[in-house]
Amino acid sequence: MKQIQMTKNLPFSSIATKKIIQMNGVWTSYDSKNFALEGINMSIDRGTNYAIVGQSGSGKSTLLKLMNGMMIPSKGIIKIDYVTPKMNDKKFKKMMHTIGYIPQNLGLVKNSTVIENILIGALPRLGKIQSFLKKFPEDEINEAKKIISQVGLSGKEERKAYMLSGGEKRRVAIARALMQHPSILLADEIVSELDHVTAREIMDLITDAQKRMNLTAIMVHHDMQLALEYANRVAVIKEGQKILEIGVEGDTIVDFQTGDLSTEEIMEMYADDSKK
Amino acid sequence: MTPKNNIVIGVIIALLVAASYNIDANPIDFVQGLPNLGIVAEEMLLVEPKYIPTALWAMFETIQMAFIGTIVGVAIALPMSMLAARNLNSKYVYAPIRALLAAIRTFPSILWAILFVIMVGLGPFAGVLAIIMYTIGFVAKLQYESIETIDSDPMDAVSSIGVSKWQLIRYVVIPESASHLLSQMLYMFDYNVRQTSILGLVGAGGIGFYIINYIKFFEYGKAAVFMLVVLAAVLVIDWVSVKIRDKYIIKSQHGMEVRAKSN
Ligand SMILES: Nc1ncnc2c1ncn2[C@@H]1O[C@H](COP(=O)(O)OP(=O)(O)OP(=O)(O)O)[C@@H](O)[C@H]1O
Ligand SMILES: [Mg+2]
Repeated sequence: MKQIQMTKNLPFSSIATKKIIQMNGVWTSYDSKNFALEGINMSIDRGTNYAIVGQSGSGKSTLLKLMNGMMIPSKGIIKIDYVTPKMNDKKFKKMMHTIGYIPQNLGLVKNSTVIENILIGALPRLGKIQSFLKKFPEDEINEAKKIISQVGLSGKEERKAYMLSGGEKRRVAIARALMQHPSILLADEIVSELDHVTAREIMDLITDAQKRMNLTAIMVHHDMQLALEYANRVAVIKEGQKILEIGVEGDTIVDFQTGDLSTEEIMEMYADDSKK
Repeated sequence: MTPKNNIVIGVIIALLVAASYNIDANPIDFVQGLPNLGIVAEEMLLVEPKYIPTALWAMFETIQMAFIGTIVGVAIALPMSMLAARNLNSKYVYAPIRALLAAIRTFPSILWAILFVIMVGLGPFAGVLAIIMYTIGFVAKLQYESIETIDSDPMDAVSSIGVSKWQLIRYVVIPESASHLLSQMLYMFDYNVRQTSILGLVGAGGIGFYIINYIKFFEYGKAAVFMLVVLAAVLVIDWVSVKIRDKYIIKSQHGMEVRAKSN
């Protein structure tokens, strides 16, 4: 376990300067009565390994859905790589092609095989007739096979998705996202239900890809411990509000929030979350 | 039993009696008519085997009619069901398609057959057209309902990639609803064979044409050959569809579960 040492209000020395996600006073609701998110401000640099942590129902999944344009804020501004998400907007649709999104339940096509599921990530690059005939060019298939071996699924290409174990299903979902040539990878509690060893294998896989492809990974976690272990930055969400944002540099944790919270309070929160 | 339930049961019984009276349904007639059935049965026992080849040929024609009707009907129903599914279309698309399908379903196949006999003349072609219409109305409804129950997870995940609607249909909707479609096709074929067997009543081809004519002339022995052939054919088709269902459908829906049980 890391030695955690709290330092307040230190600037986070990130090399990247370009903002890939910007949110300014974002409110959103499902039913126009209750707000799932209340005034979120967030700014994520390109290439960051970002984690979002919070209790069940705090709005973590909702936050991810804003980042891939599946939801639109009711108030506030959101920019994804300097583009405002809009439904049925050509410019944004092009961006969606390169946002890998792994929902909480993975969203695999369970009656399709591993390789068929992964090739779905290449669909934006495929012509109309080819996609109707399910005819992928040789190089796409080769790339899919390469990714399959990277995620450790060699030999299981032709397995139907419903026959896979929980860990294997997660690898397929990651591979499908990588097949999109993503610039952003969004993953919603992808390791929450796994044992410790498998969870770390999956996290290593994503972190490797994130570093290799220099993509921005934004991952929702239940477990603060795991978030601190892998992320450069961790945001804590509570009841639809971002109550804390911390940077992790080696063994040091840096508070990025305005400094409203004392070190003790942050430590307390950390202890609370890691108990679960 | 609560008093409210008693009232409901009382009302149902009263309606049953009133309706029976109105349509002149008298159980006594049924009992008195039983001996007639005996006479028919007796005559049917005088099965005339030399009609078997004709009967088999007529059955073959019937099955072909049902086959064409099912395949073409399903081929038309499938795109219509995609347009009628609420989770794939806006109201302006699905509402008119649903209304059209509902209108198609209001006609039983025998009425369609009469309509097509008027249109294209007597014979199997009219029967095939009737079966196609009936199949469209039903399969499209069953299929759009099954599309609407598809797990929204893969739909959301794949549409978040920004794929086109046709790609979504091809890569998520069809694979996830294919086993339902196969199951509905089998059911429909089975049902269409039976339906086609009676379309002969209105001159729309098939084995029913022979049955109705022999019965008209009280030649129950000849009619019996044809009826037994229908029975045999329906049993065979039933058996085959159970086999297909076991092999392709149940397995894909429950996967490991079935395998574990059968071991
Ligand atoms: N489809 C929906 N319709 C209506 N309300 C919803 C919907 N999805 C989420 N909510 C509500 O929005 C709030 C935030 O939900 P969200 O799914 O973002 O939480 P979460 O932090 O991801 O929780 P969990 O850890 O359990 O996944 C909750 O109060 C939830 O009830
Ligand atoms: Mg969630």
